[in-house]
Amino acid sequence: MWREYLFPQSVAEALEMLHAHNGSARIIAGGTDLVLQRKEGKATVEVAVDISRIPGLNGIEVTGDHVRVGALVTHAQVAADPLILERAAVLAEACSKVGGPQTRNVGTLVGNVVNALPAADGAIALMALDAEAEVVDLEGKRWLPLKELYQGVGQCCVDACFQIVTTLRFRSLESSYGSAYERLAKRRSLILPILAVAAVVGVDNGRYQEVRIAMGPVAPVPLRASAAEDSLRGRPIGQEAIKQAAAKALAAAQPRDSVLRGSREYRQAMVEVLTQRALTRATVAAGHSLE
Amino acid sequence: MPILTMLLNGNETSVEIEPGELLADVLRDRLHLIGTKIGCGEGECGACTVLVDGLAVTSCIYPALKAAGRQVTTIEGLQQDGKLHAIQAAFVECTASQCGYCTPGMIMSAYALLNENSNPSVEEIKESISGNLCRCTGYYQIVEAIQLAAQKLAEEGGETS
Amino acid sequence: MNPSVIGHSVSRLDIRTKVKGQRKYPQDFYREGMLHAAVVWGAYPHARIVSIDTSEAEAYQGVITVLTHKDVPVNEYGIITMDQQVLCEDKVRWLGDRLAVVVAETETMAREASKLVSVEYEPLPVTDDPRESMKPGAVLVHENRDSNVLGYMPIRRGDVEAGFAEADVIVEGYYFAPHVEHAYLQPEAGLGYIDDEGRVTVICASQWAYDDVHQMAHALDLPEDRVREIIPAIGGAFGGREDISVQILVALAAYVTRRPVKMIWTREESIRGHGKRHPFYLRYKHGAKQDGTLVAIEAEIIADAGAYASTSMVVLANAASFAAGPYVIPNVHIDAYTVHTNNAVTMAMRGFGATQMPVGYESQMDKLAEALNTDPVELRLMNLYEEGSIAITGNPVTNGIGAKEPLIQAALAAGWKENKGHWRAPVIDPPCQPHLRRGLGVACGYKNVGYSMGFDDTSEAIIELRLREDGSIASALIRSGASEVGQGVSTVLAQIAAETLSIPFERVRMALVDTARVPDAGSSSASRHTYMSGKAVLLACQDALRARDAVLREKSGQMRVEGRALFHGRTMRATTPLDPETGQCEPHIAYTFAAQIALVEVDTETGGVEIIKMWASTNCGKAINPAMVFGQVAGGIHMGVGYALTEHFIQQKGWIKTRTLGEYYIPTVLDMPRELVSIDVEVPDPTGPYGATGIGETTTLPTAPAILNAIHDATGVWITRLPAEPETVWRALHGIQTVV
Repeated sequence: MWREYLFPQSVAEALEMLHAHNGSARIIAGGTDLVLQRKEGKATVEVAVDISRIPGLNGIEVTGDHVRVGALVTHAQVAADPLILERAAVLAEACSKVGGPQTRNVGTLVGNVVNALPAADGAIALMALDAEAEVVDLEGKRWLPLKELYQGVGQCCVDACFQIVTTLRFRSLESSYGSAYERLAKRRSLILPILAVAAVVGVDNGRYQEVRIAMGPVAPVPLRASAAEDSLRGRPIGQEAIKQAAAKALAAAQPRDSVLRGSREYRQAMVEVLTQRALTRATVAAGHSLE
Repeated sequence: MPILTMLLNGNETSVEIEPGELLADVLRDRLHLIGTKIGCGEGECGACTVLVDGLAVTSCIYPALKAAGRQVTTIEGLQQDGKLHAIQAAFVECTASQCGYCTPGMIMSAYALLNENSNPSVEEIKESISGNLCRCTGYYQIVEAIQLAAQKLAEEGGETS
Repeated sequence: MNPSVIGHSVSRLDIRTKVKGQRKYPQDFYREGMLHAAVVWGAYPHARIVSIDTSEAEAYQGVITVLTHKDVPVNEYGIITMDQQVLCEDKVRWLGDRLAVVVAETETMAREASKLVSVEYEPLPVTDDPRESMKPGAVLVHENRDSNVLGYMPIRRGDVEAGFAEADVIVEGYYFAPHVEHAYLQPEAGLGYIDDEGRVTVICASQWAYDDVHQMAHALDLPEDRVREIIPAIGGAFGGREDISVQILVALAAYVTRRPVKMIWTREESIRGHGKRHPFYLRYKHGAKQDGTLVAIEAEIIADAGAYASTSMVVLANAASFAAGPYVIPNVHIDAYTVHTNNAVTMAMRGFGATQMPVGYESQMDKLAEALNTDPVELRLMNLYEEGSIAITGNPVTNGIGAKEPLIQAALAAGWKENKGHWRAPVIDPPCQPHLRRGLGVACGYKNVGYSMGFDDTSEAIIELRLREDGSIASALIRSGASEVGQGVSTVLAQIAAETLSIPFERVRMALVDTARVPDAGSSSASRHTYMSGKAVLLACQDALRARDAVLREKSGQMRVEGRALFHGRTMRATTPLDPETGQCEPHIAYTFAAQIALVEVDTETGGVEIIKMWASTNCGKAINPAMVFGQVAGGIHMGVGYALTEHFIQQKGWIKTRTLGEYYIPTVLDMPRELVSIDVEVPDPTGPYGATGIGETTTLPTAPAILNAIHDATGVWITRLPAEPETVWRALHGIQTVV
């Protein structure tokens, strides 16, 4: 394991430590992914910079029409938080499915994002929320849309040896919105999904005003099904419209044959099934019934 | 080598450790608290569950230094003066243990639940142990034991108030 | 007169220490001056070893020695045939083969140094399908033989052609039962040291202390009384601790270094290093008359024996003997093969060949029921064994044959109605959503208790009584080598002793299993300890009482007496091996029966299956401890649910794809049947202690078959390969072939 284990007291101090070690130190929050990677012989930097003692990073707050989630907020906290349940239910639902209770108590949502795997429940829901991440380094801070963070399987553009993601933010879902998270897995706990779909819909005057569908793992990175979204926007709510959107989502997904997740054929078929279910539940959550 | 100081089972405890050492290894190999078991070393089975500030964590992937200054509770910390904690007594009464290897972790998850929720539903009980694998019991007697423990603790609580 | 303790759910002897976290498993032991050992595993599923260079590893900081084949006095081991090398010299045949052991001051040093052992290999082609591996010209796993076929066992009885000619319906099917990982929670660990009397001593979790001593002594070329094994507590076994794992390695390391040496396997090493349940490729053909009478059965079993023999021959014999299930069928033609491949060694696992068979025969029974338009419970009851029925091996099944009672109890509990011998299934309420379907599935299973086919089964026990002045018994100590793997044997034996001695249960203790101090009870396998060791303890108690009575008569003033018994299973029934041409024999000492009914809900869009309710009925002869019986039923169902739905051990060309518990999925609490009803049936076995028989394995046999039959009832599709993962069910529903 690490030769040195450091606890900075501020973001600035953390950045200085990273800079001083010049690539041989890296950020750790909960460590649930990182410790495993180390045990497998990956991510072998010598120094750990543990940010879990830095004040001000563990909050969930509303600022204006955005919700902000700090870097140290755990999956368990997200899943139970009243603000999230009210304004981004899909994120609470997604976080409640990660691993098991012990994993959720320690693993952070931001850590899940930075780990950049396509089967990350939190990240899939955040994609459907059009979330952004605040990336901080010695040059300053900037907000990046989540999709710009992902460069490939396990490859985040954030370099944890020099940069820290301190906050996530996304627009609160208004009362005319509904959201849902559908997840398919081979057992009911302690497992990554074969497939998960997060849907956010905004309904106005009986029509889909806003539609966001995110899914994974169907590609190296979590995917937004934009053609499906476009096809649904403006249409009157209903099962027929949902079915057609789901078919478009299937067409956009390009999963491969996987030993653990299943055949390409099955995974694509499930994209359609889960998209349909997520859109249906999201529509109902927005307060509308569907025959 | 850094010194880890934590409030372990109610006692301030200091131990010299390697910087990257994991909590399960510190508890077992340095502090000789072998009640915390290692089933997989990857946080996938829950056998190593301990509480840090009341939250259940898989100690086999938890860097020990994270516990610095925190309250750590292990299975050894549950009994008082040789008397079994209500959860332990309930496990005995319900035959909720066969090979016993998952038992300490299972009890710690139940302990975390009952500290937060004194009247859990069956669903909540199952959720609380959904990160603890058992290969022997099929879980039914374990769920029953946790229900019984909740009842017992409620009765005990009633008596002292 | 003390009240009876048989039939009472007394607290397990070992449970208080377990809930306190004080129970010590092998990894929990530490000794002064202890070293640590790590294994260098073979890097290929099949390869010639060209050279092994340990020099860099030996030079690593803290390394005391690196052991290879050169350091093993007799480099062979194996539970029946010694076809395995302790440390491989010329070849590796599966990924679990070991090449070297690095012994160092710390575990980290040992593991780091083990990466520096440099091995040159010549990779060889891999054979990974027993159906291909059995053909002439296949890559040979053991190149000194002419074939990979390790064993062939036929069973012939009556005239199958005539039988099928007589049949009104014939059903056929191909079925596949896969590898299964035992997944006991405690990874393998051992601590070897030289004791005060100079004996090489190993603390280890094992199903059979005495056989381990035999194998360790053989490999170290020492007399058996210079080798000792101590079994403190075992974190689950299920057959997976029957074969040698770390024992010889730590014994050797301690023997060479003269210091205590500890070895703990990671979970990945555990999955890699111990064997698996045998995969079976099954082909079945059944014939029945219109009235439901079974007339003929033809079956072919091809088992994957993996790289080495282990207990593959006995598993095959067992499987063949159970091929038709607990049903009377007069005309029989069965061919059973077990074939080497470069896949994981296949070894004992709960059921020992009897678990795979109902995956085939119980689906066949339902296919017949459908073809005959007969209720599945009714069809089975018509053909299930009764006392004295003739099995396919030609022997009468006798001694408390409660084969029908579990099915009757389970069916009635699940809502079946019986009227004048006709059974009718209940109507199930349909589920609330259109894409969901519910169905009920029935299955029976049966198993032997005790060793089979002429393998002598014995168990020895010693009872020490401490007497009071008036001759009454102050306490009793059981000395038996029976391994408490979690199944509760120590408590059962204590209950039997308390009952036989007429003393309170609290006065009985069980000695630590230490080959220096307790006699051989045989293995914790074949569901045998309640029956075999229970009998030995009962007889030893009677012997102790006679000794106590003698002391009183002679007024000798002795305060301690001892009783001893060596119980031979053959005194109850002498078993014989399968006849090499016909398979006819007396296969088993005693039998155990179970039936289970599953109510499942299938999501027809995803293929996901949920078990709403399960009814299980088990004939235990006599439930010595009902709470522990329930634990075995629930635990058996857990393994059956995993077998049916979630557990998929994947090897491709000998490479393991499911290397950790994060990739091999045993059921969590949320995956179990929402509700479980368990009914004990007590048709006593007159030859068992207080009528009891064994149940440890039989509780897992009907589970997966019942689930498969329920899926068929719900959807109309037959799932013929396990696990019935969502995609597998989905493919069947969509008519997409899955290649078996």
